[in-house]
Amino acid sequence: MATEDLQRLVEVAQLVTAAQEAMSDEIVTRLAGAMSEGLNLLDRLTRNEGLMRLLQVLDRQETQYLLIALSEAIHAASHEIPATAPATGGLACMMRVIRDPGTQEGIRLLSVVGKHLSHSLREQHRRGG
Amino acid sequence: MRILVVGGGTGGTILANNLARRLSAEIRARKVRLTMLSASDKHMYQPGLLYVAFGQMTPDQLYRDQASLLEASIDFHVDPVEQFLLDQKQVRTQSGKIHEYDILVIATGSRIVPEEVPGLVEGAETFYTEASAVKMFKRLREFEGGKVAVVVGVPHKCPIAPVEVMFSLHDYFKSRGIRDKVTMKYHYPIGRIHTIENVAKWAKPEFDRMGIEYETLFNVKEVDVKNKIVKSEEDTETHYDLLIAIPPHRGMEVIEKNNLGQGGWIPTDRYKLTMNGHDNVYVLGDTTNLPVSKTGSAAHFEAEVVSENIASIIKIGTPVRDYDGKVYCFIEAGHDRATYAMFNYLNPPNLKPPSKPMHWFKMAYNQMYWTSVRGLL
Repeated sequence: MATEDLQRLVEVAQLVTAAQEAMSDEIVTRLAGAMSEGLNLLDRLTRNEGLMRLLQVLDRQETQYLLIALSEAIHAASHEIPATAPATGGLACMMRVIRDPGTQEGIRLLSVVGKHLSHSLREQHRRGG
Repeated sequence: MRILVVGGGTGGTILANNLARRLSAEIRARKVRLTMLSASDKHMYQPGLLYVAFGQMTPDQLYRDQASLLEASIDFHVDPVEQFLLDQKQVRTQSGKIHEYDILVIATGSRIVPEEVPGLVEGAETFYTEASAVKMFKRLREFEGGKVAVVVGVPHKCPIAPVEVMFSLHDYFKSRGIRDKVTMKYHYPIGRIHTIENVAKWAKPEFDRMGIEYETLFNVKEVDVKNKIVKSEEDTETHYDLLIAIPPHRGMEVIEKNNLGQGGWIPTDRYKLTMNGHDNVYVLGDTTNLPVSKTGSAAHFEAEVVSENIASIIKIGTPVRDYDGKVYCFIEAGHDRATYAMFNYLNPPNLKPPSKPMHWFKMAYNQMYWTSVRGLL
């Protein structure tokens, strides 16, 4: 074995010794506690059928469009709301909002999501999960 | 198929979680129902009591909510069983409710019975309950020197506890700078210093090195609290200033009251882990009468075998595994060093020299236990 190789081995051994010296029961306990909880969390997440299905759906291109649209909508709304005069209330105000084509599109989107959500829930309960 | 688990300790919890994982599809399809009945809504990490007795852990660190450790598909009730009606495949609980089953698992554990030795409750410190472990630590804090005697009742939970407590006492007094003012004497009921021969062979030189005296064939008969003398069935006696006892154990009272087994230990098939004469009743952990150590690890390995067998009976109609008597015990050897003993029905343990990494492994396991009972490790 070459001298440099031996030197490297000595350095690795020194590193291990230094790590051993630096460790304490408290550190080991905290690390193990965090690892243990992390493992439990990972286990629960990976066995959660709903979450796994959500991840599958999120992988689809059209869902990513939806997510991009959602993030852009949140961004736009956060700018738009402070610049809009507060609602005055009453039927006239409501009619003004409802007449807006954008609002109508929004309500339609939510009702389509609601329709599919309701259908899927009913089906899952009927099949027993 | 109705599976009923009685007892929410280490064995019962691991078994129920393993079954819930193995039979998740069947439970979802409502073909299998998994129910657990326990006496408590809390789960205690019992090996931690030794750490409490030496001020290295506080009692709150030993507990988790039992429900938080169980798979959501397990129907969990805090309602201890009072009556086992095995012929009718039913149990009756404290609340008066009847639970029917097709497969029953009994994992009720064991209890200490120090009252069976006159004077032991009043005269000795112990660490097998939360209150006694805290009391023992306070007593150790006040102790300034003198004769410490350790006595061992039989049978008892955790076979390694007697030697571990000696090493821990040695370390504790040393860290307080009073080891030279303390004499320590260990008393063991059989003709060597530990029931497992290789543990005895390993521990003897360790005791000699630490200056620990020992007396074998010492079965505790009574404690003369007034004169601070502990007497043996063999007509020997030891004077003490501080007496520490590993108390004798019995199975749970409900097992005795229902005549399921003498001393509360249920006669169990050593390979199948079924109750003798009842193929649909399984027994786990301390509750069995098997010649294996009463430890969490035995309960753990037994639970894995039983859960695999119950699942395979449901899926393919036959069990697939036998329990080989496997036990794994950490041994804290003092000076932040530890080793371990692993053995089964056929192979005795082969102890390795204690090391710091093994001590850390034990420290880590104290936390990983919670992952283990969830059926993950």
